[in-house]
Order: sequence, then structure tokens, then C-alpha cells
Amino acid sequence: MKIQSLAVIFIIIILPISMILTAYVQNQVKTLELQVSYDTKLTNATYDALKAFQLNTVNSSTSDLANSKLRDIEASVNTFFNSISSNFNMAGYNQDILKEYVPAIVYTMYDGYYIYSPFTNTLTSDDYVEGVSTYQNGEKISGLKPYVFYSCRYVSGNIDVVITYSLDNYITVEGTIKDGTPVYRSGYLIEPSSITGNYNQETGENSIRYRGVEIETEHLTEYINDSNNQETVYTKINGVKYYQDGNTWYSMLNGQRYNQDQVYKTENDSGVRYYQEAREFTNWIRGESGLGELTTANAVDENGNSISDIFGTSYNIFGTQNNIAIEDPNSNFNQQRLAVIRYSIEKNLSIAIANYNNYSGVTANFQMPELQEHEWEKILNNVSIISFMQGLSIGGKLYNGYSIVTNTKTEEVVNTDSIYLVTSDGQYHRATDNDLINNNNITNAYLNVDFERKSVTAADTGNVRYFFPHKQTGCYSSIVNQSNLNDLDVDEYDGSIYTYMASKGGELAKKYLTALGRERYSMYKTNNNSDELKAEYIQ
Amino acid sequence: MGDTLITVIAIALAAVLMFVFPLMTMSDRTDDVSQLATETATTEFVDNVRTTGKLTLDNYSQFVENISSTGNSYDVEMELQVLDENPGKKTTQAEATKIGENVYYTMYTSQILDELDNSASGTKALKEGDIFSVSVKNTNTTLSQQLKNFFYSVTGNDTYTIAAEHAGIVTANGAGN
Repeated sequence: MKIQSLAVIFIIIILPISMILTAYVQNQVKTLELQVSYDTKLTNATYDALKAFQLNTVNSSTSDLANSKLRDIEASVNTFFNSISSNFNMAGYNQDILKEYVPAIVYTMYDGYYIYSPFTNTLTSDDYVEGVSTYQNGEKISGLKPYVFYSCRYVSGNIDVVITYSLDNYITVEGTIKDGTPVYRSGYLIEPSSITGNYNQETGENSIRYRGVEIETEHLTEYINDSNNQETVYTKINGVKYYQDGNTWYSMLNGQRYNQDQVYKTENDSGVRYYQEAREFTNWIRGESGLGELTTANAVDENGNSISDIFGTSYNIFGTQNNIAIEDPNSNFNQQRLAVIRYSIEKNLSIAIANYNNYSGVTANFQMPELQEHEWEKILNNVSIISFMQGLSIGGKLYNGYSIVTNTKTEEVVNTDSIYLVTSDGQYHRATDNDLINNNNITNAYLNVDFERKSVTAADTGNVRYFFPHKQTGCYSSIVNQSNLNDLDVDEYDGSIYTYMASKGGELAKKYLTALGRERYSMYKTNNNSDELKAEYIQ
Repeated sequence: MGDTLITVIAIALAAVLMFVFPLMTMSDRTDDVSQLATETATTEFVDNVRTTGKLTLDNYSQFVENISSTGNSYDVEMELQVLDENPGKKTTQAEATKIGENVYYTMYTSQILDELDNSASGTKALKEGDIFSVSVKNTNTTLSQQLKNFFYSVTGNDTYTIAAEHAGIVTANGAGN
């Protein structure tokens, strides 16, 4: 055979192989590129949803109330779908088509969470008329499912309680305790031995110290949107701020002034009360109630079947531990708290996603993806949004992605890093800023949301005005750039800001711990009796 | 005489067809795979920084190691736009009916690496609203480039064949305590 013929045969063999290989590799590249671009689109849409939620809640004075919160979440879900459809529009998908691929969106809140997913509407009331009502019986609609609390039931002897955990050290106990009496009580857990001294509400005598740091009563002021441009004295009770105007106190509701009948104390003692009441509550948990004996082996589900195996080796939940305070991040209580929250979200979410197979017209097998440890860590400590998207065809396979975005600017929870300290040079700092150590110019500390721009719409003219409750600017080394911060994960502090503060002492610890207590104590909680609480602040 | 010439040409042609051509297609595929690996690594790296709010020396080394494992050398450029709300804050305070504008200042690769090296924990914390971007280009001449240069020469400084780029807004605050 001639060498020319050999060459032709060789080309006939090699050319198709090379062409197929090229096409295959190109295809793989395309699939991967699509997957990556879908991931980015999903993250961006989730971030947009969070921004919408943040914007609505920061500018609303009623955002912590349930019906207002529901409205804000619905708006945020709409933003999510708008954003995702405008991102995907290039690919020819519109909002209704994309809804088929989103099995669930989760909004985690302070003591529970909402899941947005489709459900079958069930109307069984007597006055239901077929065809007349807005929503029909048996209709499949998308919406927020009822709020699920981060709760767990424990049964041991006489004790049969449901304990609701939250994103911080606040718990609610309902059920019967050791001596068989029914209780409904909530409060903060703090190691009682770390709190010394007493506070007398009548006389104002105060010697409360937490880990040796003096906790003081405070004089709180901030700017409101009024003409005199002066800082106004205020007090915050159950999530509502009351401002002083001479002898009258008033609250602001979405730009409108509402005068109060009462006159409140100008000296705010919420911080001191936080520690005093937390000590009392923790002592009650460990003593009288008998709950101090509870271990993870006592955990049962709603039907009374033991679920202790999900928590691993059994440990005492509320008891004292050597060298570890109950509020420290590595305490048994926190371990159990995180495990309960995770179990609850995982269980309900996997059901919601699996059920989606009955609602979606898409022939994909919807399953909950496995979230990674560091992602859980984010979810378990912050108010966040988790979105899922599954079943879109991306070349060789089906897309299965999720995105988690956390919300740090919220009044929903007071995290240990949401307290900013103000210094007399007109700046605010993060608590772990190196410049604050042994700094005597720290004047006060407030919640981070209070440094955000707020807007007010005038009721008569409709004009929008912007203002800052605190006019200080962010410190460059701790707020803008965050380059001068202390790391809490070193052995010395073991991740605990409380240990850090106690070791630094001085004005920093005093202002920070007081503000943390005050903001936690005065945030809105559904269990609070607003009238009773207000009565305690009357002059 | 004529036959000899044709034979020589045929042998030369056969050598090109049977040796250089397959080598070129294969080296092209290798570049495709390198491109794929680089793109994936870059996106993963940027998205990890975006969603955790933390840029660590560990992650960065891991990323550089990942892309180097394709057998090429790369030029990695990072750019961090840090959101500064302070100027906007002052505008709003002066004029209550205006929303102040936010300003970004930018840090580049060497500054970011300097800060990472100097920090005790090897971590740089970013905050929500910052913008982080990474672009990667190969600096060596890959086999496919060499072969192409053999036939037609490509000149200039930016003669890279493998490049990846990804950017996005940071969605989490890295300095949590």
C-alpha cells in the first residue's frame, strides 16, 4: 500500500474521533459554565430578596410584629422571583416557569422559621361557597406555611415540657415541671455564679456585676427626624422606642407621632434588669423546676417516641459545667440548641422539598441537598434566607443548587457582634476593635441597625426624608475595612466574646455588656406582656 | 527524479498529518480541560469568599495550587472594592431629602496579600456590600500555543489561551464574633 493511502486511512480514523472528543469536551464545559452561572444567579436573587427584606424591616417601626413580618416576607419572596426571572430572562425563562423549579425558600427568624412552598388549600368552614371564594378548596397555591418554632419536647418523670430555643440564649418553657405544676415561662440563660450584686428598682441602688464587670443604668439619646435637630432622650420597651418631649413621651409609628399617657424614667435600666432576671431564671431552671436534670436522652418527638439518637451521646443540657458558662458558645446548652434547630429545619425542609414532586409539573426528583457544616453554622446563628432551585436542565444533567444569605442588619435578633461602640471622636466601632482596648473615650454603645439610614414618608405631603439615628461615621479600621480586629477563636477566649470582654475590662467591657443586655432585654418578644413591662418603666 | 520529489513531499505531509495534527488537537483538548479546571476553581474560590465574607491565606494557597495542577503557570489578579458608606452618610446628614452616594475604594492583589501575610490568623474579613473579583491568565506558552506558533506566529503580550474571571458582591460579614 502506498504511503498516501495510509495517510488517508489515518485521517479517516482520527478526524471523527477528534471531532467527537471536541464536541464532548465543549459540552462538558458548557454544562459546567451553566451550572456556575445558575449558582451565581441564585445567590444574587437570594441576596436581592434579603436586601428587600432588610430595607422594609429597617424602615418600618412595626417590622417585628407577626402580620407586618409576614407582609415583609411576602414582598421579599416577590423580589426573589422578580430578580430570578430578570436574571434568567436571557435564557428565555419567565417568572411562572421558574416557580416550578423552586421547591422551597426558608426564612429563619429569632425563634422559628417560615417555609415558602406550595400547599393544597383546605377550606372546610361552613360558609365556604364553591366558586365564590378567592381561593378554592383543594387548590394548589404557593405561600408561607405556618411558623415552626425551634422547639423540642422533653419527658422525664413528672416533667413534660416543650422548650423553644432561639438564636441566642433566650428560651421558653411550656408544660409541667418536677412538682407537676403547669408553667409557661421564658427568659435568658446566664451562668448565675458569674453575676454578683443586686439591683433595687425602687431606690435605683445598683451593684450588679457580670464576670466582675460593672453593669450600669444608662441615659439613651438618638436623633429623630424632627426640625430641632437635637438628640432626643428615649427608652425602648418591648421593641418600641418612646421619646421624651418635655413632660410628654411619644412613640413614632411610620412617621406619625403618638403621645403616651405615661411619663417614663429617663434613666434606662434594661441592661441591669437583663442580668438580674437572667440570674433568677437560670436559677429557677436549675433548681425549683427540676429542668436542670434534663439530658438529651429525655428528648422525644410529638408522639412521645424517643429521638435522643439524633443528639449522639447523652449529655446534661442546663447543668453546670467545669470552666464553661452556659452562655458560652461551646456549652452543652448551645450544643443542644444548635442540634434542635438543625434537626427541626432539616426535617421540615426535606418534607417540603420531597412533597414538591406532587406540585411541580417538572419531571425531576426533588430532594433536599446536603448542606455543609460551615453553612449550618451560618444558619444556626443568624437570621437568614435559604433558597433552593432544582430540576433545570443544564446540558448533561439537572441543576440542583441552593443559596444561603444571612441578614446581619436586623432587629429580629441581637447577636454578640451587632453591638457597635461609639467613641467621642465621632466614630463607631466593632466590639473587637483593638483601638477600643483601654480606651477611655467610649461614650456609649447601640445596636448596629441604629447606625443605618432610615427613611420617613411625611403623611401629608408624601415627601421622603432620610436620617440617621446616630450621626457617627464608621471607623475605617473596624467597620469599613475590618483590618484591626481581635480574633476570638484563639485559645484564650475560645470563641466567647464574654470571656474576651471580661479579660479586657474597663469602659469597653462596661459599655458593651450593658448595651448587649439592654438591647436583648428591650427587643420585641411575643411572650412579653407589653402593659406590664411598660408599667415598670413609669417614673 | 519526479517520483523522488513526490515521495519526499508525501513523507513530509504524512509526518505532519500523522504526528503534528493529532498532537495539536490533543494539546488543544488539554487546554480546554485546563480552561475548565481554572474556571471552576476561580468561581469556587470567589463564591466561597463572597458567601463567607472571609478571604484566608489557606483558601488562596489552595486555589493557586488547584490551578497550577493543570501544569501551567498563571498570573492571578485579585481586586477588592471596599464599600465606604461614610461619605454618603455625610451627604444625607446635610440634605435630608437626598440619599447619599456610596463610595468604593479599591485594593489590589499585592495589597490584599500584604494584609493576609501580616494578619495573625491569615484572614481578611470582608463585609456585606464589598465587591470581590479575581481574574486568572496563563503566563507560560502551552503546547498548543507552541504548535500554533510553529505554523503561524501570534505576537503581543496578552497571548494567553487559558483565562478565567469571576466577580460578585460579598453577601456575608466575615468579622462575626
